[in-house]
Amino acid sequence: MKSSRRSILLPLCAAPLLFLAGCGPSAPKKPVIGVSFETLQTEFWVAGYDAIKKECAAQGYDVAEAVADGDAGKQLEQIKSFITRKVDGIIMVPKDAKTCVPMIKAANTAGIPIVLFNRGADGGPDIRTTAVVADNIGLTKLTVEHMIAEARKTGRKHTAAILLGDLGDLNGMARRDGAEAALSAAPDVVEVVARIPTEWNQEKAQAGVVNALQAHPEIDFIFTSSDFLFPSITSALKSAGKYHKAGEPGHVILGGFDGDATAWRMLQDGYLDATGVQDVYFEAKQSVQAIADQRAGKTPAPSILDPGFVIHRGNMAEKSSQMWGTQGAK
Amino acid sequence: MIQRLVSSEFFVLALCVLLLAGLGPFTPGLLSAENLTNVLAAMLPLLLVAAGQTVVLIGGGIDLSATAIIAFTSVTGAKIMTLSGGWMPGHPAAVPVAAGVMLLAGFLIGLANGIAIAWLRMSAFIVTMTSLMAVSGLTVWATESKNIADLPAGFLALGQRPPSALAIAGGSLILIHVLLTKSIFGRWLHAIGHNARTARVSGVPVPAVTALSYAVSGLSAGAAAILLTGRLETGSPVLGQTMMLDIIGAAVIGGSSLFGGRGNVLWTVSGVLFLTLLDNALNLRGLSHFVIMMIKGAVILLAAGLDTLRRSGQTE
Repeated sequence: MKSSRRSILLPLCAAPLLFLAGCGPSAPKKPVIGVSFETLQTEFWVAGYDAIKKECAAQGYDVAEAVADGDAGKQLEQIKSFITRKVDGIIMVPKDAKTCVPMIKAANTAGIPIVLFNRGADGGPDIRTTAVVADNIGLTKLTVEHMIAEARKTGRKHTAAILLGDLGDLNGMARRDGAEAALSAAPDVVEVVARIPTEWNQEKAQAGVVNALQAHPEIDFIFTSSDFLFPSITSALKSAGKYHKAGEPGHVILGGFDGDATAWRMLQDGYLDATGVQDVYFEAKQSVQAIADQRAGKTPAPSILDPGFVIHRGNMAEKSSQMWGTQGAK
Repeated sequence: MIQRLVSSEFFVLALCVLLLAGLGPFTPGLLSAENLTNVLAAMLPLLLVAAGQTVVLIGGGIDLSATAIIAFTSVTGAKIMTLSGGWMPGHPAAVPVAAGVMLLAGFLIGLANGIAIAWLRMSAFIVTMTSLMAVSGLTVWATESKNIADLPAGFLALGQRPPSALAIAGGSLILIHVLLTKSIFGRWLHAIGHNARTARVSGVPVPAVTALSYAVSGLSAGAAAILLTGRLETGSPVLGQTMMLDIIGAAVIGGSSLFGGRGNVLWTVSGVLFLTLLDNALNLRGLSHFVIMMIKGAVILLAAGLDTLRRSGQTE
């Protein structure tokens, strides 16, 4: 019995290896862009990845895919694998601004164009790359200013909580700075009593909001640095009996950043006041174009800014077609 | 013959050869010197921390805190030597002091785990899981989630230059191998893994040996952090956070038993080599991330199945 079970195991081990020899794409004739994402675990990154694949196809590129699952070491190996494969360009969403620097240097040394999608690098003048990023500070400031305008209409002072992203991520820092800039200009309308670090983690976000609501039950103004944290916020608000539509008594003014499907549904249902929408399609197009430009011998700018836009109940009919989250909500 | 091959300590090495022979001709770049150098460089940190895990597994334990130790020692060492606000910026002794503190911190955290498990008779799973949470929390709190860059070139070279990285990993592995195979500690540890009660009755100092096995695991995690931090040029509070499945998977694929009493650093080298080659080959084949995750998960499950079969074979 033992022998027969083991006899089954060897072919089980060997067969997948032989099968894999026939798997994967056949020898590509089109130029290949290696696309390395830090994660595909939120709607925004999935939408970004799909947009890049579509744009690559439109501009005549094949795509080689890699996802690092939040591990900078693994992402370094994946970038080196791309270099070994001699891909024609690399588009990367780095884990953070610092650990991507040796990856960019490796691509620079190999002479392969490398573009950062939606997150910049903090590597000084020694690295050559183009970062296609949203105007995180400006767009967040506009979004929070809209929320402040809504608060001002009530005629009373509001108490706020801000959900911070990963502060090792330039986007997280920029969104914090944008929110703080808007809020510091309106001390008569909003007072911030809780700054909740989330490290882009939903569990930490929910625990942080629950704690903040217990410590400050008067909180009636919440901004999150990313829309993907809204399920955590709404769960905490519902538990505290504070989840109400705009115009209803006890409504908590809510704002976010990204423009995902959850934000779109909340906006339609009247719970969300505003969110800053990153134009994923613009960023994907610019990223692939930056690779094409470098291959053609041109030098794109080190940074290409996606201005994005603020969507709110006043302009949602007009702007919804440009919001990537409406595709996910369908 | 098949039975002997599957039970052989060279089985995983044979699978590595099969992998290279089967996929090499169809996977551009897989057999190139550049790629094989990359594979070697990539496997060294995993090798170190998996070797430490092997020591713990032989004694019938498990160390879930290794990834937290990697992150903690990474930022501790980086904070000492960073040129931007470090404790010893530009000091000629900064690199050796930082590397020494990283190793010492790993050893002490591992020893604390070991003491709680061995003398307080607490569950290894709970102790190291709690340690994972506490040390991770401390690391993120102390750094406010910020990475620490601007590390001295001398330190970066430890992780980036193949000869120095090989020397660190190779030297550590030889030490652990000698410890397990040529010392009384290794014989005692195997005895504890087979049956702790019998070992105690036979005069083996079970608590001290168990505690030391966790200290070795912590020390290995500290050494792995030196290589990883050097390679990424950054001390990161989340470094190695997602490595745990690969660490335990590599040890088990190599043949170390999750039930204790069986394991060997050389087998773990095979396990790490196989897992790293598999990951590399699948990436080079251009397979989807999710397909790669499914294949790796299936391979680790298969290895755990083999381990159970081996154990049932021993007890029947």
